[in-house]
Amino acid sequence: MSTRQKRLLYAGLTALLLLIWVFYSANDLQTTAVLAGTVRAATLLALGAMCGMICERSGVVNIGIEGQFLLSAFAAFTVASITGSLFIGTVAGIGMGLTMGWLLAAMAVGLRVDQIIAGTVLNIAALGLTSFFYDRSRSLGIGKYTNIDLGPLADIPLIGTVLFSRPPLTYLTMALLFVVHIALFRSVWGMRTRAIGEHPGAADTVGIDVLRLRYFNVTLAGGLAGLGGSYLALEAVGTFSRAMSGGRGFLALAVMIFGRRTPFGAYAAALFFGFTTALQNQFQLNNTFDIPPQFVGMLPFVVTIVVVALSGLVGSMRDPAALGQSYEKG
Amino acid sequence: MTSKWRRLLALLMVFGLLTAACGSDSDSSSSSSSSESASSSSAEEEEPVEEFKIGLVTDTGKVDDKAFNQSAWEGALSGAAQIEGATTDYIETEESKDYANNIQLFLDDGAQVIITVGFGLGEATIEAAKANPDVLFIGVDQFQGEAIPNLAGLVFEEAKSGFLAGALAGMLTKSNIVGAVLGTDLVPPVVFFKEGWENGAKYTNPDVQTISTYHPGGLDVAFGDPEWGATTARQALDQGADIIFGAGGATGNGALIEVATEEGALCVGVDWDQWGTVPEAHPCLVTSAMKDIVKGVSDLLVAANAGTLVGGNFLGDVDIAPYHDFEGMVTDEMRATIEEVRAGLADGSINPMPE
Amino acid sequence: MSRSVLRVVAVPVMAVVFGVFIGALLIISQGGSPAEAYRALLVGGLGDSDAVLRTLQKATPLIFGGLAVAFAFKAGMFNIGGQGQLLVGAVFAAGIGFGIDGLPVYIHLPAALIVGAVAGALWGGIAGTLKATTGAHEVIVTIMLNFVAGNLTDWLAANPWKDNSGSNIVARTPLVENSATIPTIGAVPVGFVLAVSVSIACWLVLERTSYGFEVRSVGHNRYAAQYSGMKVGWIMSSTMAVSGLLAGLGGAVESLGVDGRFEAGVNVGLGFEGITIALLARANPLGVIPAALLVGLMEAGAARMQYKSDVAPELIDVIQALILFFVAAPIIIRWLLRIRHDDSDQLQLGAGWGKS
Repeated sequence: MSTRQKRLLYAGLTALLLLIWVFYSANDLQTTAVLAGTVRAATLLALGAMCGMICERSGVVNIGIEGQFLLSAFAAFTVASITGSLFIGTVAGIGMGLTMGWLLAAMAVGLRVDQIIAGTVLNIAALGLTSFFYDRSRSLGIGKYTNIDLGPLADIPLIGTVLFSRPPLTYLTMALLFVVHIALFRSVWGMRTRAIGEHPGAADTVGIDVLRLRYFNVTLAGGLAGLGGSYLALEAVGTFSRAMSGGRGFLALAVMIFGRRTPFGAYAAALFFGFTTALQNQFQLNNTFDIPPQFVGMLPFVVTIVVVALSGLVGSMRDPAALGQSYEKG
Repeated sequence: MTSKWRRLLALLMVFGLLTAACGSDSDSSSSSSSSESASSSSAEEEEPVEEFKIGLVTDTGKVDDKAFNQSAWEGALSGAAQIEGATTDYIETEESKDYANNIQLFLDDGAQVIITVGFGLGEATIEAAKANPDVLFIGVDQFQGEAIPNLAGLVFEEAKSGFLAGALAGMLTKSNIVGAVLGTDLVPPVVFFKEGWENGAKYTNPDVQTISTYHPGGLDVAFGDPEWGATTARQALDQGADIIFGAGGATGNGALIEVATEEGALCVGVDWDQWGTVPEAHPCLVTSAMKDIVKGVSDLLVAANAGTLVGGNFLGDVDIAPYHDFEGMVTDEMRATIEEVRAGLADGSINPMPE
Repeated sequence: MSRSVLRVVAVPVMAVVFGVFIGALLIISQGGSPAEAYRALLVGGLGDSDAVLRTLQKATPLIFGGLAVAFAFKAGMFNIGGQGQLLVGAVFAAGIGFGIDGLPVYIHLPAALIVGAVAGALWGGIAGTLKATTGAHEVIVTIMLNFVAGNLTDWLAANPWKDNSGSNIVARTPLVENSATIPTIGAVPVGFVLAVSVSIACWLVLERTSYGFEVRSVGHNRYAAQYSGMKVGWIMSSTMAVSGLLAGLGGAVESLGVDGRFEAGVNVGLGFEGITIALLARANPLGVIPAALLVGLMEAGAARMQYKSDVAPELIDVIQALILFFVAAPIIIRWLLRIRHDDSDQLQLGAGWGKS
């Protein structure tokens, strides 16, 4: 990031903090509620974005995140319901995500099916299968994941509730941001990953097994989406219902691109999106503008378009050079 | 080249054989695949019992949606159980363009009664009723502007149900903030529930503050987004609401489950007693604003069989569900007030939706 | 000649066969009978003239949706915003349809169709233009616009354009005038004929005009295209607009034909199904027709399949996914049939994924 961009960023952040402080003084309950809602809405999007970015930086388009969320949520819910353990359910969700990631890899990398088709197949199959096997009499029995207070940190006003009093999978997601960032930008694996996404031919000549690394990465990324599904079923909602992913898999793609395919960028984008959603909820709760809910509901999306257009003027959101192309040796 | 075609032929033959084999296996058995399938309750009697065919067409949605369509189906089963020789079957509508066709499938099969669920099917039902005067129709949530002799519209005054629930909430709330997480304002019954709820709370507690949200998305997601329901319920809770009305299919259920995680907060279900269908909400579910679709459909079915079905509108029962684990929380004084409100709503002295 | 035609047809046909076969296994796993289920499906989609009519009616918007996505693919762009473009096309066409009366049919109907098409073109064009001017990624913009379109059209149908006649409470517009209704001749909806004509027109444009040539060149290799002097930015924007136009036209045909009005919550998912159709057709405008007919047939017969054999309608979604998989992985089928695998027709649509 250039110096100018950094300065803009700091200025923006300072302005933001000032605004928050002003609102907090005005109405602490509502401000806390909105910010807590922001972090909450951002978690799933961040996980999806991280899945997408690992795939895309390796050169593979993954538009099947929606299907991965849904089927993993189904698996997590069903297993947790049967075993009575949220933990085992979460693991099952991750496992389903890994499996679907592997399927995507097998199709896109192994069989060289077009990547968009592969992702679409996953989406349709997930929706069809989860509806086909849905059992309405099943319920979770045990409650969903609840907030864990991080000791004295949770007592800090505002920030304590918003950041340090969250359920476990949210903390895990936040930790993963760091893990993925370090992995992508400071490890050998990350360097290789980015290489195969930009110049697979060159990477090949240096001895990197392009296909094998893609296989591995896409499968691994599926695990992140699987965690997202587990989060959705076992932490955010506490049950399963048909098509409950509600388009968030696609939103995650937008968040990923918006965040320039970096974990922290994506999280910022996800927070932004979560904020506009929480804000428009608040407008309704307060009856602020007496605008029809449909218009208030457009807010997050319209604002995103405007910001994307404006920031397009500031700096480009370049795709990895070899994105979407099947790789063939020689 | 010929070997390729031989392979192709072989594959096709195998495929054909397999499906034929499976076909002949299950043809003889009368078992069906999904859990809510046609239930034949034909009686074992000496004289041949006339078959009474009942068909149910859902709105876009499933019979296991834990709410609307499901209660209509249960009503159909309940009614059928009381009728000798009744068989019931359902078709789940995938998209609203299929309404007429789905009704026609039952008509072609000689159904005597067809139940259509949801106001979306209103027009298609009217057309089918006019075209088939010998078949009886029951339209759930379909208000009849003009009475057609073979079509009974089962309608409910949702506002009254919401009012009762709101009245209870107004008394139970300690923070004086009650919230509602709703499906969409595009569906009038939801709006009626909400208006009744808010007015009822204010009736028993003039100081109460009511905060409500509708799902911001389109009709296709509004009833199937429990994640938004949960997040919004949490937002309302964080602002001090201690009793929340969740009205909007799976979206509302998400809100109920979220409230269940908050110590001391209460939640209110919708359409029927959700104690049975959303067990995850037990920690908070004090009552539900009900419209007794099950009883309404069942009663109308029995009337249809007896030949006493009258065209036009049939007012179904509305009430609030039992308090289950919260019986102790509702004081005698509150119960008395509820009784008063009930009576007032019934005789018209209380208007749940003054406009 | 016949051998090569067979080769082209063999893969999709076998894909359907395999998809149906695995679907049969799934039915058995649920305790059902595949023969019964498939028989009901076919009768429901083809059994009588009513069924054929329904199949054609369902295929019509799928053709338009598929064309929209396929056209964009040719330029190397992925139009994931077909849903939004279809919705605005549908609502505005309905608006013209019911809002004006006294016009003769040969003015009113084309006007309504054109308005719908233009609305869709604008909706798609926003993404294309933003991309060309600000570099905004069209995938983000079109996804956002899908949501915005859903909200906007819902609001229109529930408020200013709501049908308040009689005791109607549904969020929908009034019926369009007769002078703006697309007729049905026998068992053939004219909308379907229109869809087929547009499909042929697309093929002609892409294969026989210089514009089409430029579109395809940009799709194959935008840098070479740029080097040879083509205005790549303009091609990409205009392609998105054309793509939106096709989707919007599809929506308009739905409103003026099958539905006779615009209703909130209806037409859901048609735009996304267009993606499946385009993929099944391997982005070939003419291939969209049989793909749409196949899917339309399955959807028309699904209700009867559930009614007669208790198989959940979601099964056809699963079968569609399987067919799509086999179509896109011809390597499997060719291995089974021992046809030599020819890499040249391996589909590569993702290669142009939002190149910025």
